[in-house]
Amino acid sequence: MAEALEIMGVSASPGVGVGPVHLAADVTAEALVPGDSVAAEGEKLRQAVATAHAELGALADRSDEESAGILDFQIEMLLDPALVEMAEDRIVAGDGAALAWVGALNEYIAGIEEAPDEQLRARAVDIVDIRNRVLSALTGRTLEDFAPGSVFVGKDLEPSLFLQHDWTAGGGIVLFEGSVSSHVAMLARSRSVPMLVSTGRFEVAAGARLLVDATGGRVVVAPEDQQILEVRSRTAEARPSAPSRTGGVIETFDGIAIRLSAIVNDPSELKSINPSYVAGIGLMRTEFLGNVFDQERHYDIYRQALDWAGDAPVIVRMLDLGGDKMELGVGAKESEAFLGRRGIRLLLALPEIARLQARALLRAAAHGNLGVLLPMITVPEELDAMRVIFEEESTTLGRKGVQTRMPEIGMMVEVPAAALMLDRFSRSDFFSFGTNDLAQYLAAAARDDQSVAALYDAATPAVCRVIAQAVVLAETMKKPIGICGEMASDPQHIPALMTAGLRHFSVTPNRLADIRSTIGGMYSDGRAVAEMK
Amino acid sequence: MPRWEATEAVDPHGYCQAEIEVTHGFGLHARPSVTFTRLAKSFPCTIEIDVNDSHVWLNGKSIVKIMGARIRRGSIMKIRARGLRAAEAIHALKALVQRDFDEEKKHGRSA
Repeated sequence: MAEALEIMGVSASPGVGVGPVHLAADVTAEALVPGDSVAAEGEKLRQAVATAHAELGALADRSDEESAGILDFQIEMLLDPALVEMAEDRIVAGDGAALAWVGALNEYIAGIEEAPDEQLRARAVDIVDIRNRVLSALTGRTLEDFAPGSVFVGKDLEPSLFLQHDWTAGGGIVLFEGSVSSHVAMLARSRSVPMLVSTGRFEVAAGARLLVDATGGRVVVAPEDQQILEVRSRTAEARPSAPSRTGGVIETFDGIAIRLSAIVNDPSELKSINPSYVAGIGLMRTEFLGNVFDQERHYDIYRQALDWAGDAPVIVRMLDLGGDKMELGVGAKESEAFLGRRGIRLLLALPEIARLQARALLRAAAHGNLGVLLPMITVPEELDAMRVIFEEESTTLGRKGVQTRMPEIGMMVEVPAAALMLDRFSRSDFFSFGTNDLAQYLAAAARDDQSVAALYDAATPAVCRVIAQAVVLAETMKKPIGICGEMASDPQHIPALMTAGLRHFSVTPNRLADIRSTIGGMYSDGRAVAEMK
Repeated sequence: MPRWEATEAVDPHGYCQAEIEVTHGFGLHARPSVTFTRLAKSFPCTIEIDVNDSHVWLNGKSIVKIMGARIRRGSIMKIRARGLRAAEAIHALKALVQRDFDEEKKHGRSA
């Protein structure tokens, strides 16, 4: 057996993978046939661009939103006549279409690779992807996929090749260069494919067995079975109790599990979210369901969400009317928009609406893991009053023989008076921060008023301090606490929120993949892994 | 920190012009460039950009040119437009840069 060789790299996506090496072929423009006439070569190139465009479009159609967004960038580049024009200058000078294309693109790519900014340099491989795809259309060579379960080894990996490949059989990625900020790194993190970058060039035979220990930042060529077992058991030990829905749980680099749930604004969004990628629904709004007086509509929608989620929790927020949500015409008058009768205050003032929604929730709760979130709670008495409504409605329904179950009832933490006094809310089953309201109340700056927008944004440190204090209170009470405010959907705020101690984030569907990859690249105290090397 | 004050004006050559600082965390890269050029292409006027007073005006509808300009966070971008709906285009593009290319707000509603 060959002697094991160990190479260090920078982890771009944690995890462990073992498989035979697939060596990436270097794309070169050598041996490309010289062209015919200038016009014919130009036409050939335009045809090849159209073919590449169609291929990427088809790939985007069968990809999730994050991946489609990455391909969208490539498609937009291909649609830009400037790209073909760069090559046409070379065709006029006598090059064939393929040589002109590769020459022009290489020059452009070299410009991007010299960018002062790592984020921009990491986009160079996206343009390499375009270059190769058009070149393969020109030369009739197909872009090679590789065997499932292999470890890809090369200078860098193009996003469209990653997306074409079947990663369900395992394997991994080892890049001589590459970047933790590249699109492929984002994709690898969101699909839990182990990936190492910056190993420097090393010799390895195609087909050789490779161990990618991306958690430990190293790759082992021709590892002993014993080594693989050791790495696997070490990684398993570091893992906290195995969650049943791994897709919704991301591990930080130091092995802390972070739960990621979806925010659902409208039931139609469920179609676009893969339930196995989230730990359930952290917030489902109900203000936008249409007629709030239609109990069956409420019930149907909650059932739909529960069926979609399987065993995972679905947290439904009771009608949060008033303030900026005036669609139903039952909100408070304008002067009270944000500081008047809204949220729980309005629900308690309009008990018929609250009772109707409670009935729908009680019935739906019998069919899954339902939680109820109360908006705008300021004092414990409001929570108690709503509990009484649920208990009374449960008794009434029970008397009629209707099947019900009492859901867990938690509260939004969005009023500073509640956030500071969380220990008084011992009857709340769980807590969830609503940071938009919290921020505007802490800064006394309305979020829909452009003239004070800067103040609203600048209040972030104050919001984080209040969150950190409330997290400590919730932990002493042994109550779950998470966040469903907009801050959690912004990668820029994730480090501060992790530092504040949050471990459960609810995120808008189109930000799920980004937040997942952001968290996957961090330590639990909020430091980025890339800064640590 | 106050943002760079965005200015909008019409110059003697008939260009509508605005100047703005790019505040988005990742500068004008992949997705932001797509958003920017798509919006630019939705207007019938010519749209050009200049980055950090380079005095080189690039086609604002070309993602290839915009990526090539390697625009970072903190860059000062001048946008000028001439022709039909030029003022409207400048206003919309400037607002897009100010909104950080709508990167965080696609789903609108807040919790």
